[in-house]
Amino acid sequence: MSGPSSQQVLDALATIKDPDLGRDVVSLGMIKEIEVSPQGRVSFTFELTTPACPVRDRFKSQAEDAIGELPGVTGVDVRMTANVRPAFLRPKPSEILPGVKQTIAIASGKGGVGKSTVAVNLAAALRKSGASVGLLDADIYGPSVPVMTGSHSVPQQANGRLLPIEAHGMKVMSFGHINPGSEPTIYRGPMVGKAIEAMMVQVDWGVLDYLVIDLPPGTGDASLTLAQAVPLTGVAIVCTPQDVATDIAVKALQMFRKLNVTPLGLIENMSWYVCPSCGHRHEIFSHGGAESAARRLGVPFLGAVPLEEGIREDADSGTPVVISRPESAGAKAFVEIASQVAARTSIQSFRQLPVINVH
Amino acid sequence: MVEITWEDGAHSSYTGEQLRWACPCAECRGEAGATGRLARVKTLNDDELKIRDVTLVGQYALQIAFESGHATGIYTFSYLRRRLM
Repeated sequence: MSGPSSQQVLDALATIKDPDLGRDVVSLGMIKEIEVSPQGRVSFTFELTTPACPVRDRFKSQAEDAIGELPGVTGVDVRMTANVRPAFLRPKPSEILPGVKQTIAIASGKGGVGKSTVAVNLAAALRKSGASVGLLDADIYGPSVPVMTGSHSVPQQANGRLLPIEAHGMKVMSFGHINPGSEPTIYRGPMVGKAIEAMMVQVDWGVLDYLVIDLPPGTGDASLTLAQAVPLTGVAIVCTPQDVATDIAVKALQMFRKLNVTPLGLIENMSWYVCPSCGHRHEIFSHGGAESAARRLGVPFLGAVPLEEGIREDADSGTPVVISRPESAGAKAFVEIASQVAARTSIQSFRQLPVINVH
Repeated sequence: MVEITWEDGAHSSYTGEQLRWACPCAECRGEAGATGRLARVKTLNDDELKIRDVTLVGQYALQIAFESGHATGIYTFSYLRRRLM
């Protein structure tokens, strides 16, 4: 008895549906290199749209089950790989950041909600999953990324462009690298826009799956420049649970909506605190505020991060908590949120933008 | 002529003349109580109506440059889709 044909393999795999993209994995082009040996052993490559795919293991077992049930099959080898696809189906690559496939902005309404901590840890979590990742600190006035990633060197130049600094396997660039020390950057609004543009155009980012952009708080110059200069894949908004923070986060989200930047969802930081002495769970800033705001706005809730001393300590000492303490509740929350963010950006790769012809 | 195929498959097309007269910039529309240029003039030269270049602004708008050099209008997609039909 001989094994199934390639078509039978594809038909069986077409029963697997991607929950985020809403289509079957065969028509999405995820199944490649099908081979069936004369003995009935089936092997193929299952190419995900992100290495941080939240349903990776489920896909693998679904594929094994679907093929295992075909008559004549004696064994199944599924090679799980990932290839991040560029955001949007464009006729020509973007002139700004040409090698960057996905640009993810991390924003907040209010300051002090832990936006940079979230950005650094999401970037580190995406890197850990196997993606190539850049981290751009667009906070001109209060750059925190150099401290949080332990990168204090001055960027080198090559061919008239700045080279980003390597930190924890990521390419990092911050205004804090260009203007180190305790001297403040004192800029009026229009200069902020120029500085942010320069960090994209004059820095050699190379080829990246994800560029995570840590924005300054608020709905001002930096966010506007970014939304005008870069076709952002989407924006994730960070807030703390209490009303005063979620109310402002809603404003930030609505601004990005006006600029046609897709909201990837809301992240609740400092969601709870477990007292190390008594083990009691305190909800210092209330709880669930971001989740209910997300529901109100009709955007995904991406997850909640606890308030942990370790997160702050590791940020101050320059190693993101997802790398230094992967078993901590905080690190696990960041990894889970990173895969949610990756899944949301994958959806954007299949979105068709308006096509413009001029003649 | 600018032709747009929208995400939902619908088509729109605009002539340079239509777009020039609809320019949303402050100089053309007027600001702070002052009348805009388009309300003051009755005709425009040919080079003011001819499109030279169209650039994408983020993913929410088009910036349209005319042969005359006028390029300050940012035409948002929602403006193009809803107001200019």
